[in-house]
Amino acid sequence: MTDIDTTAPSEVELLPPPEGGEVASSGSPWVLVARTFAQNKLALVGLAFVLLVILFSFIGPIIYKTDQINPNLIAVNLGPGGGHPLGTDSSGFDILGRLMKGGQSSIEVGIAVGIVSTVAGLIYGAIAGYFGGALDGVLMRLVDVGLAIPIVFLFIFMAQIYKPSLGLLIFLLTLVSWLIPARLVRGETLALRTREYVQAVQVMGGRSWRIITRHIIPNTIGVIMVTVTFQIANAILTLAVLQYLGFGLPPTTPTWGSMLSDGTTYLQDGYWWEVYPALIMIVITVVAFNFIGDALQDAFDVRLQER
Amino acid sequence: MQRFKRSTLAIIGVALVVLFAAACGSSSSSNSSSSNSSSSSSSSSAGLATSGPGLTQPTTGSGSKVSGGTVYFTEGSDAPPNYIFPMYNFQVCSTTNANQLMNMLYYPLYTYGENYRPTVDYSHSIGQAPVTSNGGKTFTIHLNPYKWSDGETVSARDLVFWMNVMKASPATEWCGYAPGYFPDNVVSYSAPNPSTFVITFNKAYDPEWVLYSELSQIFPMPMAWDRTSLSQPAPTSDNGSLPDTTKSGAAAVYKFLDTQSKDLGSWATSPLWSVVDGPMKLQSFNTDGRVVLVPNADWSGTPKVSISQLVELPYTSEAAIYNTVKSSGPAGATIANIPSQYAPQLSSLGAEGYQVNKAASYSFNYFPVNLNSNATTSPGGEPVRYVFRQTYFRNALQHLVDQQGWIHAFLYNTAVPTCGPIPFSPPSPLVDTSSISFSPCSFSDATAQQLLTSHGWKVVPNGTTTCQNPSLCGAGIKQGEGISFNIDYQSGVVAVQDEMNDLASNAKKVGITINLTTHPFSTVVATGAPCMPSAASCKWTAENWGAGWIYGPSYLPTGEPLYNPGSAANAGSYSDAQMTSLIGQTITGPLSGESAALTTYAKYVSQQDPVIFGPTSVGTYGGYAATLISNKLAGYSANALGFLQPQYWYFTK
Amino acid sequence: MTGFIIRRLGQAIVVVLGVTLITFILLHLLPGSLARDILGNRATPQAIEQFNQQNHLNQPFFVQYWYFLDQLLHGNLGYSYQFNRSVDSLLKTDLPRDLVLGGLSLIFSLVIAIPTGIAQAVKRNSAVDYAGTGVSFLLYSMPQYAIALLLIQFLSISFHVFPAEAPQSTSAIGMLEHPAGLVLPVLSLTLVTYAAFSRYMRSSAIDTLAQDYIRTARAKGLPERLVLMRHLLRNSLVAVVTLVGLSIPLVLTGTLIIEQVFNYPGAGLEYFQAALRNDYEVMLGITVLVGVITVVGNLMADIGYAILDPRIRY
Repeated sequence: MTDIDTTAPSEVELLPPPEGGEVASSGSPWVLVARTFAQNKLALVGLAFVLLVILFSFIGPIIYKTDQINPNLIAVNLGPGGGHPLGTDSSGFDILGRLMKGGQSSIEVGIAVGIVSTVAGLIYGAIAGYFGGALDGVLMRLVDVGLAIPIVFLFIFMAQIYKPSLGLLIFLLTLVSWLIPARLVRGETLALRTREYVQAVQVMGGRSWRIITRHIIPNTIGVIMVTVTFQIANAILTLAVLQYLGFGLPPTTPTWGSMLSDGTTYLQDGYWWEVYPALIMIVITVVAFNFIGDALQDAFDVRLQER
Repeated sequence: MQRFKRSTLAIIGVALVVLFAAACGSSSSSNSSSSNSSSSSSSSSAGLATSGPGLTQPTTGSGSKVSGGTVYFTEGSDAPPNYIFPMYNFQVCSTTNANQLMNMLYYPLYTYGENYRPTVDYSHSIGQAPVTSNGGKTFTIHLNPYKWSDGETVSARDLVFWMNVMKASPATEWCGYAPGYFPDNVVSYSAPNPSTFVITFNKAYDPEWVLYSELSQIFPMPMAWDRTSLSQPAPTSDNGSLPDTTKSGAAAVYKFLDTQSKDLGSWATSPLWSVVDGPMKLQSFNTDGRVVLVPNADWSGTPKVSISQLVELPYTSEAAIYNTVKSSGPAGATIANIPSQYAPQLSSLGAEGYQVNKAASYSFNYFPVNLNSNATTSPGGEPVRYVFRQTYFRNALQHLVDQQGWIHAFLYNTAVPTCGPIPFSPPSPLVDTSSISFSPCSFSDATAQQLLTSHGWKVVPNGTTTCQNPSLCGAGIKQGEGISFNIDYQSGVVAVQDEMNDLASNAKKVGITINLTTHPFSTVVATGAPCMPSAASCKWTAENWGAGWIYGPSYLPTGEPLYNPGSAANAGSYSDAQMTSLIGQTITGPLSGESAALTTYAKYVSQQDPVIFGPTSVGTYGGYAATLISNKLAGYSANALGFLQPQYWYFTK
Repeated sequence: MTGFIIRRLGQAIVVVLGVTLITFILLHLLPGSLARDILGNRATPQAIEQFNQQNHLNQPFFVQYWYFLDQLLHGNLGYSYQFNRSVDSLLKTDLPRDLVLGGLSLIFSLVIAIPTGIAQAVKRNSAVDYAGTGVSFLLYSMPQYAIALLLIQFLSISFHVFPAEAPQSTSAIGMLEHPAGLVLPVLSLTLVTYAAFSRYMRSSAIDTLAQDYIRTARAKGLPERLVLMRHLLRNSLVAVVTLVGLSIPLVLTGTLIIEQVFNYPGAGLEYFQAALRNDYEVMLGITVLVGVITVVGNLMADIGYAILDPRIRY
């Protein structure tokens, strides 16, 4: 255990002790969230990065035009320089331009999967955890079944039947991603429903749905926010891994993951520019989302907000 | 047999062989020996032999001979041996099993491929040159003296044993099986005395074809295997009523041996598999695929084995192969098969103490288009098979394949251009390839365009080419129809992806739309099967599993399995009377005309393009760049058909 | 509690059945003939027919499923065509090796992640926290194979510190006898797992530290060390217990990438190869096994919840 200063007050206590007298108006809860968020430097950096990446991927190709469809056999595997700031890949495509195009797919997939899967898992898990009993049993068994089937298997199966497309991948990634938020939320809900304020509302005759939406879910926001960002990050990463395993989209739809996995084939040959730029983009984007999620978690924690 | 890229070696390979005598010969290590050249100098134009030490002359090592030593050989990624009984069926028909295990333990009747020539080597074979009689239908083979390790002499009765078991149910037991050919075309066989084997066919075939494609499928089996359970004692002599003498008994023997062979854990201690007549015997086998072979003290052939161990190392990925070679060098990998994406590293790997050997095995790379496909083209919505059936279209498509470009850009000069089923490398004295031109496969947008326009198509570069004159376009093609189809290729191999992407891009330039999809290897292969247009599943248009065909266990490059209608390896259901007749000529024509018949056939294939040809890699397996041989290993020379022949190797100081 | 366990066991069996059924359905919905996939598309019609007979492929779906279940109940997980061995024998050698890899990584990750996560939570927004966050974010944001390849590049190829290939022993003990070869695979897996664990540990600890009872304990003058160990640790472990429960099946299938990069002979890679070759009995066998282990893992997680948090009752 690291050494803990046992004399200084805990750093968690950000609030000054309440003084008697007037109570200041604290504004709407969302303003508090935004303010706390804005105080977190890392969050702002993260937000900035995400915006930059989005601009890079969607606006970039308008400014920096490259041909990402037709291979250029005489310009393969060129290092950075001379018209190609980041070099070219094994088909002669300009890597900087490909990063932009790849970013579009990767980000679309990441955000779509991250949000949809979390929302689905949230509702599912809250219901299961709150009602408990047989309903919880059945719902969680379905989650278990889903978790037990390896992702790889599902993807192989789907890839053999359907033409792999971005849409299909989004659908499949969502299908496997909602399970973990469901489980986490259910765990939290199990703990929360025994809290005094929930019991108080129940005593007062509050309806289950209201309890779930007004009391349980808001108190799991911390976990949810972290989960969403991890889900987005996971989706981008899982897409990369899937392409490494060979479940790929045709080369006309590049993603950072496919650039990375194709590039690693040639890593040993010293073509580092085919590997690291895509890797860095993935890492930056995923890290940025994590910073944001982390800061959101802090911002939503009522006890930490400054009133 | 069908050649597979990298990990696809196993299993599928077998199917191809079946058709005619081409049982999988398994081309494992094809190391060409040439001088210690650097990696960039591979063959530059069509047909040249590839390079490296050990090509036509054995390697000379680095000093004086040292006896003993362990040779470490890297297996292909995901291709460990999984069968040991030489009568391998479809499931287990692979390079690894045949060339890297069986042939060293259970010596075949004839051995082929030495010193990078795909020809028979009588001086090292059990069988002497066959003598024909009976109007060319009967072959009499005298046997050289060889012994089994249990003391029994390798006799003609052992060959009869093989034939008895094979005849019992070849369609389900033998990878090399093709209806109408071996062993269906064998009328009778016998062993008039222990050192003479006589076999009679149903007609007078070209004796060269018989030697290379039919007799190549015979392995002697020891008497000790002629039983139906381990509790029966091993027969030591022929009392005339051994199980194999009846059809049901032979089938029972097969079942027994097959079951034993599938029990991988029992190989090393089995009383069956320890009876060998080849240069090596199995010391241990680890179920992950690590094989340890040691010299067979009772090996009757020459030369005697000098090394003390051959260890075959299994790998689950290509990166692992590279990493081992890079980090442990010749001490950990004496003979290393290098996947083509590491070709730029060949010279730096060579500097660690290797010679770089680039030898194409007797194989060629292609992918089939389905002439029976009921997929529709757009615009028009008509079945695209009518377009595929036009020879000029296939020619045009072939002209859009930029083999030289691909070899240079995607394969790092580790492949040779291919324009037909008869490889230029390794060169064969049996067929004169010098008159076979590469021009039908030259890369030319202009020629492709011209072919289309002269047959009634209006070519719109980067747009949609449509048929304007249906009478010129061809039967079944309608006015205004376009050309668009799908190419499905093996996933996980960047070079194949790049090649197909380039082909699609070139096709777009003449207004042909190619959609690309990718699937795991086994799906691609399984989809590319012959089918009838009436079948709903006959929707595939082109399937590229990234490799092609390797000759084995039929070693004469005739085309029965590939281009005759109804053959299993004729995935695209190609059918042409002239082709069938030319192929027939190579099988039943006179010996004196064989070389010319083969050349004529090969030229016709290039003109017809029944399949689309692509660059053939110069490594042991499809998609492998080269083989590295430790500087200290002498006596190594490339076997044109991929057999490992450790009896020739020795270490030097 | 016993009633609860019995109920959960019953549910577990239902889950396993559900998993086998779904897997079975999916496999049989695949287009093309299984016989063709296994035997290759050059197989003769007779060979295909024989294969179909032997494997009951001509029977109706539920009959086939019944054969499969029957086989399972007799302890037979099927036969692998690719490897020519029973699935049991494959798993018997693979599983222990996977346990070495997954187990070691799990232990190391937990041992490092729990204290660092708590330390980060307690010293929130300090330099220590930022450093820890930076490291875990970085690790968490990289694809597993990238971490593995970078480790190989630096620790094996550029500087020959560790071998790039995992030990090839046939037994778990044998693997442990070559620790040098285990370092890189275990390190790769640990780094990724640690990153996730420490994030959750940190956020869970932050949540707990904000609770009133912590403040109360401090106000009562309890030493910080005791505050952390007695209150914080127990309550924050809910999230960790979930993660561990979920991670157990990943020991089998999640190590796939690591196994491929390091040539590590485990079940994850086995499964992947089987899937590529439609070696469906191996896929079924491993899936059933994963199903059983998942359920066991979740059961342990739920029991863990109950132990840790007395307010959770079923």
